[in-house]
Amino acid sequence: MTQSLSDGYYAALERGELVIQRCERCGKNIMYPRYACPFCAGSELGWTRSSGLGTLHSFTVQRVGAPTGFEADLPYALGVVKLDDGVQLLGRLRPDPAGGWDSYSCDMRVQFDAVSDEGRHIAWFRAA
Amino acid sequence: MTNPMAGSALEAAFVGIGEIPSGRYPHRPFMGALVEVAVAAIHDAQLEVSDIDTVLLIPCLHSPDDQADLIFSRVVEELGLHGRAKASAMLHSGGSSSDNITRTAAGLIASGQAKNVLVVQADKWGSAPVADMVDMLSGYGIPREWERPTGLTFNAVGALITQRYMASSGSTPEEMASVCVALRQWARLNPNAMYKDKDLTVEKVLGSRLVCDPLHAMECPMLADGATAFVMTSTENARTKHDRWVRIAGSGGCVSHYSIGQENDLAVLGWKVAGDRAFEQAGWGPQEADIAQVYDSYAAVLTIGLEGLGLCKLHEGGRLFAAGEFTPGGRLPVNTNGGLLSAGHTGVGGGTALLVECVRQLLGRAGDARQVPNCRRGVLGGTGGTYMDSQVLLLERVEHARNR
Repeated sequence: MTQSLSDGYYAALERGELVIQRCERCGKNIMYPRYACPFCAGSELGWTRSSGLGTLHSFTVQRVGAPTGFEADLPYALGVVKLDDGVQLLGRLRPDPAGGWDSYSCDMRVQFDAVSDEGRHIAWFRAA
Repeated sequence: MTNPMAGSALEAAFVGIGEIPSGRYPHRPFMGALVEVAVAAIHDAQLEVSDIDTVLLIPCLHSPDDQADLIFSRVVEELGLHGRAKASAMLHSGGSSSDNITRTAAGLIASGQAKNVLVVQADKWGSAPVADMVDMLSGYGIPREWERPTGLTFNAVGALITQRYMASSGSTPEEMASVCVALRQWARLNPNAMYKDKDLTVEKVLGSRLVCDPLHAMECPMLADGATAFVMTSTENARTKHDRWVRIAGSGGCVSHYSIGQENDLAVLGWKVAGDRAFEQAGWGPQEADIAQVYDSYAAVLTIGLEGLGLCKLHEGGRLFAAGEFTPGGRLPVNTNGGLLSAGHTGVGGGTALLVECVRQLLGRAGDARQVPNCRRGVLGGTGGTYMDSQVLLLERVEHARNR
């Protein structure tokens, strides 16, 4: 029986952990989580804890025009992170000590911020 | 692989186009716009409405109700083709719908299943409530489990691509803004463009407020109402009524991702793979193109496309725009209708308008102000969703001396 893929991922974020999917058959890491392994089509898929370390491929600061429900978050920063685990994902970026994101740049090292995401299902990153 | 249809009597031919102005036209009815451009394109093809046997619909995004009208063949009934038309269907791949619909039409014609195909598009994006459209675009092409919780928007998707492109290429904010300025110069020559009356400068662009770093408000596409149509038939049919038409010399595509978080290189996307496939089929190269019409919802989306297609050097797109290479009178005319950024972003129709403009230029019907002289070969690039695919059609004018 196919199970929801997001339950395990979201539960980990609430615990302050970033998990990624791993194929038990071919051993490859997978993101975003899939119903079948995109490398070998295997169905024995489990979770593994990510190192949380990676490189910022790109980022932006949303200043106006948030979707409904996100207005109070403005401004907020989004980034595509290439994890050292060999997979990538979109997350949010914590403001730097100056309160903005001016210190961020493409290709800088970032790490998963292990503070609980309070049930919002967001992976947060900050400068490593 | 070479083009298997080259020289065939059943090779598809573009024979007619129709378009009405883009912009904000809240009182222009959706169905009325569809019918107006459909009839215009059919007459431009020197056909009667009753000659159309297949209707393919480009999706609209402003209203699920209106989109349902497209899906369920209302256009066929409005045109009086009910009882005659063999098929009516909507085909959707976002901004690349027109490219995929063109291939579908060409295949139906080549296999003898369709004789005269009408493709028609209309959208009322410019008149729809902006907040609703922002919410819709924060859902389309964005995985609900993995990315929607972050608050990703469509401008943010464009900004992520722009930021990476600027980092990889070393392009400056001024160079990126100059892309918008060049497109405005083209739009000033297009009576159907949303911004036909307003000049733009680099200073104005960079002086507008930051929306999604590094994108300023004037670097984001303005949602517009608009409608376009075109008619395709076989070469053997084209020959009976026309002394020129447009053929598909080559076609190639690459679906590089679904979600923006899974694209391997946001400054590259799928253009090179798609372009190589198309040029191999056509038997000619990017240096032989007379015009290029490449999807431009954001400046970097366009420069990445031009570079990947070999129409300019890698990482040089922004600088070459600033140097005037792609403006009216430049080396290679690019997005001669003003593009999505200055003719107006009519939803899925932005790509269709570029296609119609490409055919118009190749037929020599763009009018004195913006007609590119000796325009025989055009490169058309489309992309949909979060720039999930790179779709390339290489279009070429065919001239035929009719026996009289």
